[in-house]
Amino acid sequence: MHVDMLIGRKSVGKILLEVTKRVCAREPKGFSIRFCRSLEDRLMLSAGKITSDLKMANALRRKFKGFHLESMPLVVLVLQGAIDSAFAKAQNTVDFTSDILPLMSRMGCNGAACHGKAEGQNGFKLSVFEHDPESDFNALTMDSRGRRILPTAPEQSLLLRKITGEVGHGGGIRVTKETSAYKLLRKWIANGNPFSIEGKSKLEKVRLDPARRSMRFGEKIQLKVLADFDDGSTRDVSWLSMFHSNDEGMATVSEDGKVAIGDSVGQVSLMARYRGKVAVFQAIVPQTGPKVAYPEIPTNNFIDELVGRQLKRLNIAPSGLANDATFIRRAYLDLIGRLPTAREAEAFLKEEMVDRRLKLVDGLLSRPEFADFWALRWSDLLRVDRLKLGHENAHEYYRWIHQSLATDKPLNKMVRELLTADGPLNEQPAGYFFRTAKSTGEMSAMAAQVFLGVRLTCAECHQHPYDRWTQKDYHAMRGFFQQVKTKESAAGLALLANGNPVIKHPRTGKVIHPYPLGASMPDKPPEGDRRIALSDWLTAPENPWFARNLANRIWAHLLGNGLVAPVDDLRETNPPSNPELLDELAKHLIKSKYDLKAMIRLVTASRTYQLSSKPNDSNFRDEKNFSRSLFRRLPAEVLMDAVCDVTGVPEKYDGMPSGYRAVQLWDSQVRHYFLKLFGRPGRSTVCECERVTGATIAQSLHLMNSPNLQRKLSHPSGTVQRLLLRHTEDAELVKELYLACYSRKPTTEETRIAIDYIPKDNLLREKAVQDLVWSLLNSLEFIFNH
Amino acid sequence: MTEKRFCDGWGRRDFLRIGATGALGLNMSLPKLLQAEASGNSLTAKKDISFIFVFLKGGLSTIDTFDMKPDAPSEIRGPFQSIPSNVPGTRVCEKIPNIAKVMDKFSIIRSFTHRNAGHGPADHYMLTGYHPLGGFDVGLKPNNQHPAMGSVISHKLGPRGAIPPYVCLPNMHNSGSSAYLGPEAAPFTIEADPSSPGFAVPDMHPPFSIEAKRIDDRRSLLSKVDRFHKSMEAKANRGTRELGVFAQRATELMTSKAAKQAFDINKESDGLRDAYGRNTLGQSCLMARRLVEAGVRCVTVEHSNWDTHYHNFQTLQDDLLPKFDQAIPTLFKDLDSRGLLQNTLVLLTGEFGRTPKINDSAGRDHWSRCFTVALAGAGIKGGRVLGKSDKWAMDPAEDPYGPEDLCATVYNRMGIDPRSEMHTPDGRPIMLTNNGRVIKDLL
Repeated sequence: MHVDMLIGRKSVGKILLEVTKRVCAREPKGFSIRFCRSLEDRLMLSAGKITSDLKMANALRRKFKGFHLESMPLVVLVLQGAIDSAFAKAQNTVDFTSDILPLMSRMGCNGAACHGKAEGQNGFKLSVFEHDPESDFNALTMDSRGRRILPTAPEQSLLLRKITGEVGHGGGIRVTKETSAYKLLRKWIANGNPFSIEGKSKLEKVRLDPARRSMRFGEKIQLKVLADFDDGSTRDVSWLSMFHSNDEGMATVSEDGKVAIGDSVGQVSLMARYRGKVAVFQAIVPQTGPKVAYPEIPTNNFIDELVGRQLKRLNIAPSGLANDATFIRRAYLDLIGRLPTAREAEAFLKEEMVDRRLKLVDGLLSRPEFADFWALRWSDLLRVDRLKLGHENAHEYYRWIHQSLATDKPLNKMVRELLTADGPLNEQPAGYFFRTAKSTGEMSAMAAQVFLGVRLTCAECHQHPYDRWTQKDYHAMRGFFQQVKTKESAAGLALLANGNPVIKHPRTGKVIHPYPLGASMPDKPPEGDRRIALSDWLTAPENPWFARNLANRIWAHLLGNGLVAPVDDLRETNPPSNPELLDELAKHLIKSKYDLKAMIRLVTASRTYQLSSKPNDSNFRDEKNFSRSLFRRLPAEVLMDAVCDVTGVPEKYDGMPSGYRAVQLWDSQVRHYFLKLFGRPGRSTVCECERVTGATIAQSLHLMNSPNLQRKLSHPSGTVQRLLLRHTEDAELVKELYLACYSRKPTTEETRIAIDYIPKDNLLREKAVQDLVWSLLNSLEFIFNH
Repeated sequence: MTEKRFCDGWGRRDFLRIGATGALGLNMSLPKLLQAEASGNSLTAKKDISFIFVFLKGGLSTIDTFDMKPDAPSEIRGPFQSIPSNVPGTRVCEKIPNIAKVMDKFSIIRSFTHRNAGHGPADHYMLTGYHPLGGFDVGLKPNNQHPAMGSVISHKLGPRGAIPPYVCLPNMHNSGSSAYLGPEAAPFTIEADPSSPGFAVPDMHPPFSIEAKRIDDRRSLLSKVDRFHKSMEAKANRGTRELGVFAQRATELMTSKAAKQAFDINKESDGLRDAYGRNTLGQSCLMARRLVEAGVRCVTVEHSNWDTHYHNFQTLQDDLLPKFDQAIPTLFKDLDSRGLLQNTLVLLTGEFGRTPKINDSAGRDHWSRCFTVALAGAGIKGGRVLGKSDKWAMDPAEDPYGPEDLCATVYNRMGIDPRSEMHTPDGRPIMLTNNGRVIKDLL
């Protein structure tokens, strides 16, 4: 007799009928006490779960009339349970879904470290982030012979004994008996542990009180989580909610919602989660001390106005304007990924035209290296991966990306072409995008992350913990890609998107028709190639993420920090540091027909982009509000090229014709110690985070000691030899080196130091100049864009 | 000689620990790090453990070495005989007589088991404690979906002084890297064989053509040229602060005599070098001891060719076991005589064992269902035999243990809570071990 088989039936009536039938038929002479008790416990529990009414119970009682005598005690007991539970329900307000489950989340029971693990903990498994309340309910009330919950003696429930530490608990003591958490659990058990109470109002949304506030260093505040229900009622659910800080460095939040602001200037968001709904609190932390004298600063365009407004709020004064030398180096590195040559730098420093900076940008945008550099960045995101796609294919894919950028293809058009590629892949190389993914789920998650900046992956298995996306949303998005397949054709491998595949919710099994993020489910799936419908929605000007995401990525590339950071994590609970600015940038992008270069022109023309990196007293701690230019390590490829350019000795890459620059490498798997060491991404995901600019010991060692670098310094056709031949005057030689490395002339003091180092003796001069170049290459001013 | 050189068994290593910034853990947030720097506090626990992982790539045939089945039919038991070891009741293979004499130094688990008998995934499983998921690409270097144990150790405990916390010898295994823990936790790789005559660490020393005085000149010139060094800018930017810390450490590594010595295997006496065996395994083990002594937290020694599908017995007898039987006992004795064994965890294992049934080429194929893993040092009791395989070593007969348990045990010994939670850069929480149990019977 498998009692478990019976559990989960819809009505208590059916269970009782089934049990009784079987028991009476097979074991007419009665059953063991143990069996009886076990059955009783379980049925009592189910009775609590099921919303039956008294009438039903009475009807059953009549049905059981005349059954075998020995079985009667059980039946009576069972019925009693059902009746008790029905009565209890009438007065009950505590249920599993709205009280107990959030409470358990809060206590950390379903954490990934504990019972939320894929295989549970100690035989007790809960779904992570409460994504499967039914199975959690079953696990708590029925698994393990139902001993976790004993309605007849609530205190003896294993649940309560574990969390109070009365019996050994790997997770330690979670609550004591005096707490309201304990009392709530006890009450729920005593009331027959109902799953959900019928007629109870539905949760509509959650908000934090306050939602936004200006705060001082070290200030503390208690957040309140308010839940709004469909009947108009509001309940304080703070003690059932979970809190999370987006930036632990700026503010921390305790388990019960007490926020403590740290000592950094800027904005910080803290979120709360209750029953899968999230709310956010934003604290603005201005610079303390006397009001900073905010200078009257000219504004080049709306960017400066909006950044300025924000800085005033934060009591931060921006740094001054960068000089021309800094600007030309910055612009070259950001726009075309290379250093200006000594000659280019010198020529620019002589320019006197008022709009020389704008002219410089225009010139850079029309250089061929622009497409090389931006194709490299896009190839990271779109995963041009030789190992995954094959040599030829990866190269074709790259050429499509490069070509798109070289021909100024509007970004919306580029994305649309990628998403709707169809037919033989050698004619439609954009379609390799789909070949980089393992599954249709990955395709949709990739598309969401790259094109919308929305991370969906979490929602594949459960409710997104920091966003509103559900499993249903995830699979609805997946549905748009479910038709995608490849087929061998006469023209080679071809991409197809047809048929009418059905997507089902992995847990409930219900059919999900594709719908885009934030929309509701239609009655039927879109006709034809569903990707077209998706692209229409995705690239529409009204799309809340597309233009914002692109604008944010371009901004982050140029300013070193996204308005939303990380750049591919746009969500309600991770608001932009300057929302008005992001909105305006997105609008500008749409108005300019998604023209990448127009966007770059706009940003680089702003005073904000052109600020100096020299901090002042008020912005020393600020790395987020664009009050000064940030130091950014050159990306691996750019740094390699810079070393080659300065030393005058190019690098040869395996499998590439000579003369290829590192920035031009389409294959991120080319074996190269330097590139790997300095964080070239492996392109195994679409995450911007794969490209690392963090420092390591090995990097420093390499820059100082690498035999390859020394070879470049002492190369007979390298810069050192060339300069020694060209300049008899040391000051001229030093000047050219400074221009090549730093795009500026050396100061008098710097010239003196260098000249002092270079001996007159011709034999020793060469080594000394090598040493000088070595020092320049190892300096922060060289390694960083600033 | 088992006498300790210093009364607490720790003096020597502390003595060798290099540099004043020894406490700068990479896993610390920068403010914390700077704080530690400012206060000059050492955050390194005094009693800390080091870890040497000898990975026998290809899969050591444990049925021919540590878990022999003399009563099995000939197509299973093979031609080797068993001999008694210095632990009463524990018999091992006649081909490892020196190991038989040090069986009291380590313990073996004869009921080790996991579910993947393919090299790449099994390697990943054994090195990280996580079975790889779909899309795992063996050929990628690194192919880590989860960090290798050394990376976790590196991330959690940080370096001791100038010397890097995690070193791979002679090369980094494809699954030996840091996955989501980032480059900071990636191993310091040498990519050179310590047994080769010209062995040196890449970039640790300037090229030969640059004489010592010139290096000093360059440094002093750099300090004058680098106008941002120690500037407000350098302090106000995360990237420059970070680089400053690492550049400082790189300089320490270069200039530290102790670090230089640690990596200079020629400093060892010929006698000891011979004792370890003049081959990759032997010299890597010796190097591992040197590094641990100098403060490296985790050294992985990878030794290949254990994949004996053909002529298993001949290869074992003529090539692999003589080297193994030379290097390993010497390592144990050497560590012990220096008082290091009690604070150094040593792990010996392949990614799996080999089929009990001998194949048609007199070889044995992959067998992950049951094999033997050996551990020593750092509080692991010596001379124990845990678990039991069934009569033909097909499956564990009792107390099965898996890679998760092995990792949990290693972390536990290192003083890292195996139940702690890690985070990927995009914030996804991941458990350090996949529900592994610390193997308490070893302790």
